[in-house]
Amino acid sequence: MRIPFTTLISGVLLTGCVSTAIHNDLPQVRELARTSVPDGVVEGEVNASTDSQVLQALRQPVDVDAAVRIALAGNRELRALFREMGIARGRLLQAGVVPNPVVGVEFLPERNSRFELRVEYDITGLILAPASSRAASSEVDAARFRAAAAVVATGLEARADYYSFVAAEQKLAIAQQALDALAAARDAANAMRASGNAAEFTADVQIAAYERARVGVSEAELEVAHRRETLTRLFGIAGGEVIWHSSGSLPEAEHQLSVPDRVETTAIEASFALKEQRAHLEALGRQAGMASTAGWMPEIVADVHALLGHPESTETNSLGDDWRFGAGVDVRLPIFAQNRGMAGALSAEFDAQMERYIGTAVTVRSAAREARNRLVSAHARVRLYADVIVPAQQRVMEQALLQYNAMDLSVFELLNARREQLDVELARVETLAEYWTARAEFESVIAGALVHTREGAR
Amino acid sequence: MDRRSFIQLGGIAAAAALAGKSTEALAQDQAASPNRPARNVASPPAPGGQPAVVTPNGSTLPWRVVNGVKVGHLIAQEVDNEFAPGLRARCWGYNGGTPGPTLEAVEGDRVRIYVTNRLPEPTTVHWHGMILPNGMDGVAGLNQRPIPPGETYVYEFDLRHAGTFMYHSHFDEMTQIALGMVGMFVVHPRAARGPRVAHDFVLMAHEWKIDIGASRPDPLAMNDFNVLTFNGKSFPATEPLVVGRGQRVRIRLGNLGPMDHHPIHIHGLNFKVTATDGGYVPESAQSPQTTVLVPVGSTRVIEFVPEEAGDWAMHCHMTHHIMTQMGHRMTPLVGADTRRLDQRLTRVLPAAMTMGQTGMGTMGAMQMPIPENSVAMRGSPGPFSTIDMGGMFTVLKVRERPTAEDAATWYTYPPGTTVERADAQRMQADGIDTALGPDAGER
Repeated sequence: MRIPFTTLISGVLLTGCVSTAIHNDLPQVRELARTSVPDGVVEGEVNASTDSQVLQALRQPVDVDAAVRIALAGNRELRALFREMGIARGRLLQAGVVPNPVVGVEFLPERNSRFELRVEYDITGLILAPASSRAASSEVDAARFRAAAAVVATGLEARADYYSFVAAEQKLAIAQQALDALAAARDAANAMRASGNAAEFTADVQIAAYERARVGVSEAELEVAHRRETLTRLFGIAGGEVIWHSSGSLPEAEHQLSVPDRVETTAIEASFALKEQRAHLEALGRQAGMASTAGWMPEIVADVHALLGHPESTETNSLGDDWRFGAGVDVRLPIFAQNRGMAGALSAEFDAQMERYIGTAVTVRSAAREARNRLVSAHARVRLYADVIVPAQQRVMEQALLQYNAMDLSVFELLNARREQLDVELARVETLAEYWTARAEFESVIAGALVHTREGAR
Repeated sequence: MDRRSFIQLGGIAAAAALAGKSTEALAQDQAASPNRPARNVASPPAPGGQPAVVTPNGSTLPWRVVNGVKVGHLIAQEVDNEFAPGLRARCWGYNGGTPGPTLEAVEGDRVRIYVTNRLPEPTTVHWHGMILPNGMDGVAGLNQRPIPPGETYVYEFDLRHAGTFMYHSHFDEMTQIALGMVGMFVVHPRAARGPRVAHDFVLMAHEWKIDIGASRPDPLAMNDFNVLTFNGKSFPATEPLVVGRGQRVRIRLGNLGPMDHHPIHIHGLNFKVTATDGGYVPESAQSPQTTVLVPVGSTRVIEFVPEEAGDWAMHCHMTHHIMTQMGHRMTPLVGADTRRLDQRLTRVLPAAMTMGQTGMGTMGAMQMPIPENSVAMRGSPGPFSTIDMGGMFTVLKVRERPTAEDAATWYTYPPGTTVERADAQRMQADGIDTALGPDAGER
């Protein structure tokens, strides 16, 4: 495809300006999201290599904060959104450009001259350019809000996925311990069977239970792999870089949960979705106003011209040197075409967007309440596990051991008590993961993200 | 009101005040209670030089003679009974203990027995095996109105026959007997019968189901009784019977356990059953025995003259009755190769260990932690090693000078009279070759 030289030049110039502008937008996004995003996400040309900071972070055991940092630096979708801020920025640049003058040169024109030089300029376009620029600037704001929302959402996703992954690792370890307990029961039954102390039935029951549990361990292993891959995708890494390790187990929940007051109001005030939609509304409003204005404003084109010589001159090699100058104005009167269709369409689009804006506010309030409810509930349950259920099950285990020593429990009942304890531990880990995910969601909601219930929180 | 009646009423008031105390207070006062004198101290001898009965670990009810009537007072109440060191339970009994105090009187006596009910439900007392007026027999509903909680009823009757009898509740028997509402009632003959005895003991068998770690017997139990007692005590808490070698000994055995009969076996001697709660066994019907079956609801009186000094075992011969509280849900592993299981268990439950693969005789000495208020299956330090017995087990200590003997000391064996490790040279001389296979032994 042949690209006209002028187009290429202007395109490069425009790209350079836009790239610089994105760089300038990034601090504002950071401020909006209250999150550190490295400059590298918008620097230079796009390439497939992984950010050096990401690589360095992956060499250390990854904790939840590191997971967030890695995702913000490496997630390609987020980086694409940063780049897309350039689209709005470019459109803003384009919208603010004043019309170019039209220069005309004519030889032996029909007018009373031998050579004519004419310059025309679209006055109306010049008048409307600032309004168009203001409309486009609202879209730049919208793009920033969208990017900030994506930053918070990516942070939330990183935290939630990290908690799910660590929980899966812990659950796998628990499943392996439960399998060990079943293996012990199987070994006991086999020993009994071999020594003549039990029927084959006893051994078969324990063997079947053990083998069934192996399926559970296999599923737990797959769950770990799945959660790891989910996080690896979020990190935007591939190849040898995917070998990384978590820093440990889920932290305990604090004893007292502090939930700020006026959660709905805070969420509404912080909501990036609402801010973005409001910016859209502003842009639409400005576009509609501009369309309306353009509809009744006459199109004015002013021109100045210069005429050289006279067509009836008798001198062979002379055009004559009598320059004559003139000027004119063309006015296209908005008698029939008044841009009403465009203005009406934009007005309707504004109304539709307004409905969505109000609906989004309802959703944000609901999401805030739901996030708070889930956080409070998860915290209550996780504390119940930590303060009551786990110690109670521990006492059961201790008493079971004493009862076993007193020959009042069989080794199978003892091991069953251990499995019940591990079941409780499993439920505790799941609830703990739910709590930390709910907490991440709640914090994201009051930081401006529009959060829907995550599967991982269940 | 004269001085005598004042004293009598004062005694009843004192007893009522005693009955008003809490169980805990009673348990604390038990040692000092007038109804529970120092252990193994006999009451005054019976006519004709008959020795008073001794109730090991128990007591004899004191009488107050009022106008020729022997007056006693039984208080039915909750009691805190220590079955063995480490195992206590809240039982029901009389006068602070279970079994209740032994009632001891003489043929022809008239007795008046006040019964105060401090239980949460009604009760009665049935005088088991006695022939008396029907209205005194104590069957609730049939012979009398039950004694309501907080009230005192009085029984009065003549002791027409000598013998070894018992008493127990006859209201809600399943609960009240299971919780310990039992006792012995000895009536000496007015004139001694048969050869004179030097020692006369009372042993009452009972069985209880006390879940591991629980502190009250289960009155609903029909089987799986796990605490077996003589006079409310389980070995090693059973007090030994100290007797003189060559002296005639009488032991009166009673059984008011809920379900099981007990074949009581004594080592190192033979005996004859001289009486039951139905009366005396004619000499012509007596035969030498080493084990006597004491059915539920019966008494058996045995007499013997020990010839060999020493510490002789006396126990129920049902093997599960000579164990204490340990449960019976343990996994049987006798003869099992548990090495793989042990490795696995070390990982899964480091505090647990496999048990029983080489038998269970040494488990009593393992000192494994067990639930609170429970006791090891069996076992007590002995002169040679742990005595792996428990439950319905005691020791008959036959001594040359029984009155000077400390009941806590073990028998001193004359040299050369104990079992020792076999000497190799002697084995060789006797043609014993342990290196040979199992067929080497003589058939």
